[in-house]
Amino acid sequence: MSRPWAGGSPGRRCRLLAGALALGACGPSEAPVPPRLSLAGVLGGVDTAGYDRAVEPRPIGLPADHGPHPGFRSEWWYLTGNLEGDGGRPFGFQLTIFRASLAPAAPTSASAWATNQAYMAHLALTDPQAGRFLARERFARGAQGLAGASADPLRVWLGDWRLEGGGPGGPSGMTLRASDADLTVELDLEPGKPVVLQGERGLSRKGPRPGNASYYYSLTRMPARGRVVSGKDTIDVAGTAWLDREWSTSVLPDGVVGWDWFALQLDDGWDVMAYRLRRGDGSASPFSEGVVVDPAGRAVGLTWGTDVEVEQTGAWTSPHSGVRYPSGWVLTVPSRGWRLRLEPLMADQELDLSFRYWEGAVTVRGEQRGSGPTGRGYVELTGYDGNPPAR
Amino acid sequence: MSLLRRSSARYHLQHPTQLALTALGVALGVAVVVAVHLAVRSSRAAFRASVETVAGRATHVVTPASGGLDERLIRHIRVDLGIDRAAPIVEGYATSAALPGRVLRVLGVDPFSEAPFRAWAVDGSVGLDVARFVTAADGVMLPAGTAAGAGVRAGDTLPVSVNGRPWTLRVAGLVDPKDALTSEGVRDLLLVDIATAQTILGMTGRLSRIDLWLPDDEAGRQELARVRSVLPPDARLEPAGARADVLRGMIDAFDLNLTALSLLALIFGMFLVYNAMTFSVVRRREMLGGLRALGVTRRQIVGIVLAEAALIGGVGAVLGTLLGVGLGRGLVGMVLRTVNDLWLVVSVERLTLPPVALSGGVLLGILATLVASLPPAVEAATSPPRLARMRSTLEERARRMVPRAAALGSISAVAGVALVGLSTHSLGVSFAALFLLVLGLALLTPLATVVLIGVLRPVASWAGGLLGTMASRGVVTTLSRTAPAVAALVVALSVTVGLGVMIDSFRGTLTRWLDATLQADLYVSLPSVLASRADGTLDPVVVEALIAHPAVEGHSTYRSRDLRLGDRLVRLVAVELDRRGEAGFDFVRTVGDRTFDRFRTGDGVLVSEPLAYRMRLSVEDGLELPTPDGVSRLRVLGVFRDYGSDQGVVMMSRSAFDRLFRDTGVTSLGLFLAPGVDLARVVSELEARVASVGDQAVLVRPTAALREGSLQVFERTFRVTAVLRMLALIVAFVGVLSALMALELERARELGVLRSIGLTPGQVWGLVTTQTGLLGFVAGILSLPIGVVLSIVMIEVINRRSFGWSLDLGVGAAVLAQAVALALVAALLAGLYPAWRMSRASPAAALRGE
Amino acid sequence: MKLVDLCKSYREGDRTHVVLDRASGEIAAGERVAILGPSGSGKSTLLNLISGIDPPDSGKVLIEGIDIAALPERERTLFRRHRIGFVFQLLNLLPTLTVLENLLLPVELTGGFGPSDEERARALLGEVGLARREDAFPDRLSGGEQQRVAVARALMHRPALVLADEPTGNLDEDTARRVIELLDSLVRADGAALVLVTHARDLARRTDRVLRLTHGALVDGDA
Repeated sequence: MSRPWAGGSPGRRCRLLAGALALGACGPSEAPVPPRLSLAGVLGGVDTAGYDRAVEPRPIGLPADHGPHPGFRSEWWYLTGNLEGDGGRPFGFQLTIFRASLAPAAPTSASAWATNQAYMAHLALTDPQAGRFLARERFARGAQGLAGASADPLRVWLGDWRLEGGGPGGPSGMTLRASDADLTVELDLEPGKPVVLQGERGLSRKGPRPGNASYYYSLTRMPARGRVVSGKDTIDVAGTAWLDREWSTSVLPDGVVGWDWFALQLDDGWDVMAYRLRRGDGSASPFSEGVVVDPAGRAVGLTWGTDVEVEQTGAWTSPHSGVRYPSGWVLTVPSRGWRLRLEPLMADQELDLSFRYWEGAVTVRGEQRGSGPTGRGYVELTGYDGNPPAR
Repeated sequence: MSLLRRSSARYHLQHPTQLALTALGVALGVAVVVAVHLAVRSSRAAFRASVETVAGRATHVVTPASGGLDERLIRHIRVDLGIDRAAPIVEGYATSAALPGRVLRVLGVDPFSEAPFRAWAVDGSVGLDVARFVTAADGVMLPAGTAAGAGVRAGDTLPVSVNGRPWTLRVAGLVDPKDALTSEGVRDLLLVDIATAQTILGMTGRLSRIDLWLPDDEAGRQELARVRSVLPPDARLEPAGARADVLRGMIDAFDLNLTALSLLALIFGMFLVYNAMTFSVVRRREMLGGLRALGVTRRQIVGIVLAEAALIGGVGAVLGTLLGVGLGRGLVGMVLRTVNDLWLVVSVERLTLPPVALSGGVLLGILATLVASLPPAVEAATSPPRLARMRSTLEERARRMVPRAAALGSISAVAGVALVGLSTHSLGVSFAALFLLVLGLALLTPLATVVLIGVLRPVASWAGGLLGTMASRGVVTTLSRTAPAVAALVVALSVTVGLGVMIDSFRGTLTRWLDATLQADLYVSLPSVLASRADGTLDPVVVEALIAHPAVEGHSTYRSRDLRLGDRLVRLVAVELDRRGEAGFDFVRTVGDRTFDRFRTGDGVLVSEPLAYRMRLSVEDGLELPTPDGVSRLRVLGVFRDYGSDQGVVMMSRSAFDRLFRDTGVTSLGLFLAPGVDLARVVSELEARVASVGDQAVLVRPTAALREGSLQVFERTFRVTAVLRMLALIVAFVGVLSALMALELERARELGVLRSIGLTPGQVWGLVTTQTGLLGFVAGILSLPIGVVLSIVMIEVINRRSFGWSLDLGVGAAVLAQAVALALVAALLAGLYPAWRMSRASPAAALRGE
Repeated sequence: MKLVDLCKSYREGDRTHVVLDRASGEIAAGERVAILGPSGSGKSTLLNLISGIDPPDSGKVLIEGIDIAALPERERTLFRRHRIGFVFQLLNLLPTLTVLENLLLPVELTGGFGPSDEERARALLGEVGLARREDAFPDRLSGGEQQRVAVARALMHRPALVLADEPTGNLDEDTARRVIELLDSLVRADGAALVLVTHARDLARRTDRVLRLTHGALVDGDA
């Protein structure tokens, strides 16, 4: 599990996509830039009637569940990862494709444009050596082949940004291809470790009420190889990616204003993920949790506050938005004896898009000698710009 | 104020009538120019707002040559080429019972593609439920103002009719753009989801266009080339502005015609000024001569006269500009109505008042006044100081000028005619030629006046005795005053005659053409939003039901759509003609007897006269048509007369059309009935049949009704011209009035002498009105041949080059009689005041002179 | 002032009418000369040539050594403006200016007027007996009064030469005499030269010298 801001609130996703309508104003001669989306503005009453709900665990099988689940309001394919080019030049990347159902059923119409499916995608590349962080977004409706998803063969795409099954990684491998004007990410991915079912056999509860939950699994360590284009540089790269798959219909509980999410791939073969659902007073919701995965892929859940804890060690103020984000942390897992220091690859990894958040690559090392292995990871911070992601 | 200025100011203040009429002349001329300019500008601004607001920020646009684009093209561009900033658009027109009389533009968009293009669409949107907008098949967003007009709010339903079919849309939100221009541009716009648009507009599977945003750099140029490589043969990729240019090009000729007409009005105004200033100079010759003797330089004299002119012109121009704004308000509606009737729907009706145009109007007025006053000013300055008092010398000079003016006039007129002959298609040159011709003819009027008065003198003498002789001789002996007056009158009157004859000729030609063309007994079409063109598709079951009626013996079908030919947007019409319908073609040229045999087999096309003119096509020429399968070269089999579209019509047989364009729809039908059936009964039976087979409402109209409707559109489109003609008449009237009144007032002394030797007041009336009447009559008579010449130029040159139509000249007696009557009435009226004053004043006072 | 072989002819229709034929003569500064001749003898034409209003067909008009006939039109006008005062038979005054303004006009033409000019104008009006009529418009004055104003105006800007063209043509004998006396005395007082064109011998007799215009030439002649 990772995107609490997205994951727990498919209704918000839907509204976010709907908010694509509200894009547009920009300078007269420059490339058009979408205006800011106000989360508060796109939040509202959410009617879940007619949609499938995540109420109890269900079998999750591949490749079928790699495909779309249109009966649920919201769904995403979320890939992040750390890469290295020749000579150890580090990169971070993110490609997320969001799907939303705008209505429980597809409208009946003679027009092939008629659909209840909408897609949004974010593509980002962190290139600290060039001092560059590039982020782009796209929208499309799930019609006319502009965007869509299928399980067999696996194919998820928006325009020419796509995630497809197969490739050099074998039948269960994937290829990722996405590019915009000055950035390209092209990777062949292997599954790596087995699938980790999050929460209760893949049912991840987000709040106290039944249905306040999602179906959710991860591939926590996918070997990746390919190339990136950053500005004018084309670099062959290799590294590890993390795939989150999640679909749901329900919403986050009241009182949550944002979240901090951490996913680390450690050099000793262990992976760890933890998130904190932040409430208005800064405290963590009881539904905050985490997981550790051993080198063989065996996962053990973590309870926030006892099994896993995070302290903030620094802060950064965005020159683009003026929003102040945490920057630098110490993550503690007492059961493994880890006190891990997390430092962003670059301070500025803010996605200043229609929906504004910070999502960035971090380096990991033990705080002191013997207090944990080195590694790489990704951190996501939402709800810091004054627009609380929940009501 | 210097003494010289004080002196000239006092002179004018002592002649307030003159002053007022001169200023009025300037004012009217300026008013017409300003009004037309504002109306044209406003209609263009409206056009711009309408087209460009909807076009949004697209840099390029892909459009179909005809029909629509295959919607799958968008996937090629977005997915295969990875060009994200491409938005599909489906457009059309609708009407709504909630907004009677308004044409609503339907803009179907994919909200998820809109971000880079149309910020206004949602910038100010209120209460929009986007999910519902996209997923419900009936969501519509409309401008707040339009919603208020329809009395609907978010959540309410809005009934609309498209192609005769009723639809109920639900208001998903309101558009309320912040900036005024966009706000104007979205007026009467229905924003719907693209799926909704395809459904209600009957465009399933097709797009009206694809908007692109491509950066202006190397990458953008590469993307452009890649887009071009995936386009089907009948699609065009061009800069967004180019498409607006094509649309704008359609109304250019119309605007140019209006502007030229308004400039004619200004020229009348200048003639009035010239006349008035010449008059005031002539009248003050002795005084000016005295000043010269005292050592006032020529330059100072010119300065004095021009300063007077500038002041009068300034006052007139300011008045005229104000008047023009008021007039413009009236005109803009008419201009827009014409634009809407003939070309495209523009739904802004606000008068744009650019300060530049206003100050420009004032400047133009002053400048025109100065130009018109230059000859009298120079005249005043160049005459030798003391000789100036010798009136006979002046008149002798004026008489000597007559043949010179006539020679110059002939040269100018010949140059005008030559210019027409030399240039073949340029409209600007044509107007220049027209102006030269007008000028030339005006310069010929003094000679014509002398000749005509010579002819009339015996009549006047016979009727009025010595007084009649005096009256007629006075015209010639005071030629320095009468010649400019008559010239001004003739110009103004002849232009009204010319316009009147042109409108008559057009109406006559159109009537004959309609009578010849409308061969069927009944015509079936969809209620159309554009008066001049049929659109949409008749439901096939409706067509079946209609032609199956026992009274229907035969039918012709028509399929009509836009076709881009190069930079032109023309009409493509596919016909399946009943034999009787073939007789309705009035060919200018054909390949011969077998025209229709060859046409039916798809061997070639027929083109309308305007198209043949614009594209310089003749029979047997090849015409390249863009079709979905590539360019198809077809032979021109005939050129037929058509007054339905000034852009041009390409007509092809149904079989060829179905093959080339793969479109089986029918836009309208002509039905031939069995002889002797009751027309009204058949119409109601056919209407009942239509109602029984579906929900499409169609118009079943007897030929007479269609003919009537077409003539109504004609009258509407010529309303602007008619108004301008009326204004010209008013200017002419004022001109006659002021010129002749001045003339008679100037004769006060002479009349005083006559009174003192025993002329009764009644005889003074007779003398004055005989003279003004003679002048008015002469001007009226002279204006007739000149007016007819002008109308020939307007019909054969201006009209042809503007619209490509050939019209049959039809000179109506009413127009001619009107000109003469107007001149006479104005002339007699002009005599009233001076006659009244003269007959009332004591002769002694008159003798004292100034 | 010296006139040398002045010739001038006019076209009348298709006929040429010779008005002046080698007219010559001399007038000293401050001298008052009368030119006599019947109507149509070319007196007015001669004045027009002297004043530079009209250029001669040939010959010279030398005033203070300058041949004004050879000057361009503009120079001639400026010369006239500064050096010459005019009194005409008719229409001497601008109907649209008051009496005082009429007097001030020549001064304004030579560069604008000040209070001292207005004073002089009033003084001159006083001398011609019209002190109370300064604000009247000319059409309110009698013929004699108008000519008196014209005399005053001719001297207003202190010209070197005053030209008077039948200044008393339409006045009764008494009035005519008074106007001429005024002209004479004022010219004398200012030290200007005077050329008086007239057909009345008794008026001519009052001047220093009389010239006669016959057959287009100037000849000495006694009154």
